[in-house]
Amino acid sequence: MDDILEVIKTRKSIRRYKADPIPDKILDKVLEAGRWAATGENYQPWRFIVIRNPETKNRIGDLAKLGSGSRMTAWYCLGEMQERFKQIEDPVRRAEVLRFMYSGEVSEFAKQAPVVIAIIGTLMEGSVDVPYDLSACVENMLLEAHSLGLGACWVHGPVASTRDAAKFKRILKIPTGMGEYKVIAYVALGWPAEARKHPRPKKSLEDLVYWEEFGRKERS
Amino acid sequence: MDRVEYFNDMLVRLEELLFHELSGCAAWKVEMVGVDFIQSKKIGGNTVDEVVTGCIKEITSNGLVKDMAYKVGGKGVLLKLSMKECVHLPKEVRLKKDGIKPYLCPITNMVLDQLIERLHYETTYLARLDIDEKRGECKVQCAIYETADKIGEVSDWSKE
Repeated sequence: MDDILEVIKTRKSIRRYKADPIPDKILDKVLEAGRWAATGENYQPWRFIVIRNPETKNRIGDLAKLGSGSRMTAWYCLGEMQERFKQIEDPVRRAEVLRFMYSGEVSEFAKQAPVVIAIIGTLMEGSVDVPYDLSACVENMLLEAHSLGLGACWVHGPVASTRDAAKFKRILKIPTGMGEYKVIAYVALGWPAEARKHPRPKKSLEDLVYWEEFGRKERS
Repeated sequence: MDRVEYFNDMLVRLEELLFHELSGCAAWKVEMVGVDFIQSKKIGGNTVDEVVTGCIKEITSNGLVKDMAYKVGGKGVLLKLSMKECVHLPKEVRLKKDGIKPYLCPITNMVLDQLIERLHYETTYLARLDIDEKRGECKVQCAIYETADKIGEVSDWSKE
């Protein structure tokens, strides 16, 4: 069995893609990785909608821009965004980054992705683990995409609010009843047009792991 | 039996578990809570002032809030609401006491819903909810976007 830790550690959210298409053979492997995710009582609640139509991707990108921008504009007006990005010392650069965020442009990238995959889960088959199963499914897909040289980004924000989730469902003709399907996220997918330049800092295991009981730092 | 207390207690339990399940994202899921009441009323008006005033009239005359005021600012993006003696205040106080920042204001949801339903606003967002239990007041700051172009229309809300 191969150790996949390096695949896990080198994965990064990629939001810029080349226009090159993704061959079906490669795309199917990403979907297959999702299909094999951990799932409570083997319910497999996930369903995938693969979107390559530019008009549909544009509508999803616009919705994402609206969702992020509506929140980030408010956070900026309340001074919260400035606090979050205060580590950027160059004021011109900081202003550019902040505008990119609060305009919502930060979340528009579905428009450029060759493929967008919506991950939804049926709520009608009895599973008690739908959001958790779907999350495991998304992670599997991200790791497989990365191992194949693709770039991908897990996008939740645009489907996070109730109204936006309903808009998203209507775009893709997913039944909108609250007891029918849950939209957990979509994954934007493409050949990366950006490299992993600055890995985000990660907390050390020492900061994260307790032994035998909460708060106990000594390894048992 | 105090029916308001009974329903607030249930809301607290639901809000606690929703927050526990979803963390901060819980606040984004609850925007429809409370809208059925206001949707059952015939709120008229063609402007923000008219619609918000109409909502306040229904909310106060039905005893949900004793006094309620509003102000629009921030280039038309900021809607400030203040409410005194809201029937839901006890649930916010209890949530705060339990260590959860209040995040669900049915009264605000009613007003934002009508901006979307009556005036076809593109989207809205409850950005900040402050509870003052000693004064019996809530103050809310919302972002309201008439069109998608209003996204990114920033200003300093602390000066409003």
